[in-house]
Amino acid sequence: MTIFTDIKAILLGLWTTWKHMLRRPVTIQYPEEKRQPSPRYRARIVLTRDPDGGERCVACYLCSAACPVDCISMQSGERENGRRFAVWFRINFSRCIFCGLCAEACPTLAIQMTPDYEICKRDIMDLLYEKEDLLIDGCGKDESYNFYQHAGIGVAQRRGEGAEEKAPVDVRGLVP
Amino acid sequence: MPKLIIDDITVEVAEGVTVLEAAQSVDIPIPHFCWHPALGKAGACRVCAVKLLDGPIKGIQMSCMLPAQDGMVVSTVDPEAVAMRQQVIEWLMINHPHDCPVCDEGGQCQLQDYTIACGHGLRRYDGKKRTHLNQDLGPNIEHEMNRCIQCYRCARFYQEFAGGTDFGVMGSASRVYFGRFEDGELQSPFSGNLVDICPTGVFTDKTARFRARYWDFDMAPSICPECSLGCNTTPVARYRELLKISARHNDAVNGWFICDRGRFADKKVNSFDRPRVPLVNGSSSGWGDAVDAVAKKAAEFAPGSIAVVASSRLANEGAALLPDLARALSGAKLCFFSNEVICRASITAASQITPHMAASLDDVASADCIVIYECDLRQEAPMMLLAVRQAWRKGAPVFLVGKGAPLEQAAAVSVEAVDLDIIVEAPIGIFDRPVIIFSTMRSSAAEIKNLMAAEAKFAPLFDGPNGMGMAKLAAANSTISLESAVKSGLIKGIITIECVIADELRGEIPIIAALDWQMNSSVKNAGVFLPTTAWVEMNGTFVNNEGRAQQFKKVMAPGIPVSATLESGHPPRIHSLDVPGGEPKPAWEVITEIMKRL
Repeated sequence: MTIFTDIKAILLGLWTTWKHMLRRPVTIQYPEEKRQPSPRYRARIVLTRDPDGGERCVACYLCSAACPVDCISMQSGERENGRRFAVWFRINFSRCIFCGLCAEACPTLAIQMTPDYEICKRDIMDLLYEKEDLLIDGCGKDESYNFYQHAGIGVAQRRGEGAEEKAPVDVRGLVP
Repeated sequence: MPKLIIDDITVEVAEGVTVLEAAQSVDIPIPHFCWHPALGKAGACRVCAVKLLDGPIKGIQMSCMLPAQDGMVVSTVDPEAVAMRQQVIEWLMINHPHDCPVCDEGGQCQLQDYTIACGHGLRRYDGKKRTHLNQDLGPNIEHEMNRCIQCYRCARFYQEFAGGTDFGVMGSASRVYFGRFEDGELQSPFSGNLVDICPTGVFTDKTARFRARYWDFDMAPSICPECSLGCNTTPVARYRELLKISARHNDAVNGWFICDRGRFADKKVNSFDRPRVPLVNGSSSGWGDAVDAVAKKAAEFAPGSIAVVASSRLANEGAALLPDLARALSGAKLCFFSNEVICRASITAASQITPHMAASLDDVASADCIVIYECDLRQEAPMMLLAVRQAWRKGAPVFLVGKGAPLEQAAAVSVEAVDLDIIVEAPIGIFDRPVIIFSTMRSSAAEIKNLMAAEAKFAPLFDGPNGMGMAKLAAANSTISLESAVKSGLIKGIITIECVIADELRGEIPIIAALDWQMNSSVKNAGVFLPTTAWVEMNGTFVNNEGRAQQFKKVMAPGIPVSATLESGHPPRIHSLDVPGGEPKPAWEVITEIMKRL
């Protein structure tokens, strides 16, 4: 009898509706209510500092090479003390797709993704973040890493005093 | 002709060719550091290991040290050979600082490539790294000895190939050190090639330090504009700025190397005072108005009273239009050379020489007798000196003839030369492949005619990168030197095309218009200035000293370097398709524009 199966179908459907009417809704009333994403969420990009407070970014161009949408550009330079740094560093967030490939490519842990997902501006030019907008005072997710201590060239410390190094060789020494 | 099998491919090579080269000839890549086509083998790096499965020799062998022999069966993919190469790389990396992010070689590093290719990805060694102190090698080359993998390429190039004496290898065992006895600028005029030849980042170009990565380079095949030899180069630009110049391989011309003069030349293209907009009486103007002004001013002069003057900086494309421009300017005098003596000498050399008589740099390097006649190659053609050294290394005697050929030039590449007073003292007749090198800037037309009567090949040197092309065009068209044009008293106005005219030669004659890309006295004194592109900003052709026409391609678009347009530290935030300072056009295009208005 088709009439009974039709009534059954209606009642089953309505039962599902009534069931959910009594449950707590999953909808979040954004923006009054906000959700805190997990720390590994991929949103606004920052540039971090090493534990000594120095800029971690050495402007190696790996993030801009990895970026699939070409939203990162920079110019590398050399400081008085031999540190390589970004003279200027620009991320175009109107183009960024938050894929996280830049953070994955970064060899110095300078570029990191944060859970701050609220990036919305009235003027598109305000989405062009320069180095001072990106650079934070802090190490981000890794509290201890300092690239120059492991780099094997004397920049943050004297030559041969890095983490896994012997003292410089005496080239004129005669000891075998 | 040994016939061998490499990875199931049968290869037949000439006697004496190594297994490594035999494999390369059929596109089988074998990793190598110490072997270099120009320097040959050293057997120092041990990374080109292959396994010989059958034949006269068996087992693991270094393919760069092993001459190919009949019946060899070589495997580059045998597990034993692969394991050997992987372990050698791991061992080379034990002391290598892992500083690729702050190394300029990163991205174009042979060590990086082969480390990845050989599959070494994880450091297993727990011990500490050996470190070295660096040396200050002058303003052009940065030294970072920690990165060294002891392939000996630098010392072999510097001492054997280029004849330098102030750089070499010191120390023993793991303390082997490549450097000078004490800090100081490298003395060889070819020291810049250490940058290209080092398979990792021990020597990097200090003039472009940290400026860009290989994958971001704007580059194209080009020709060096510093002298008339036409060495093949690859200029590198980034963000509208010429950063550095590296050598491009061409066996017939410069081989694998270029001289320091070409490599570290002033980057005038980026110059802050480079004029980039058309100027009429000193004030900037649009292209249309400026070209109109040239036509209007030129119309005020009587027929035959204008001189169109070019220099050998001008590419063939522009130079070939000049006879038409002169005709359009109602019979203007055409001057491809300013100086009368150089004009006659260049035309004589260019019209006497035949393809059969012209010696390329490769011919010089394989000559069995070299005569350098009245010229100093250090100034006029440094790469010729390197070719002379290669001939001398193979046993060719080198004769320096005349007071204009100082012995110091031979000393610069450690060549023992014989000093002669006159050319007849050189026993050219007893050699099979003698080459005579002379300069059209030092020798007169009569001298050159005398010289070229000899049974030999000739390497004339010209004034500028397109000297030969200009001389050929000058001979084919009715041209005179500016000096004799001015002496005739008929010239009342001058148009300069990429050319500087000495003030004493010009006197009171006004410059109607100047086309150029450098700031100089002609540009400053010109009624109308029209900006042209430099050689890296256009396609064109230079004819080198042996008559070889070589194309150069556009490396970058003209424009003010981004680094000079920063606003409070950042590149400007403007959307525009127009590039600031992008007005310059190739000289041939400007000349065509002028001709259309006449």
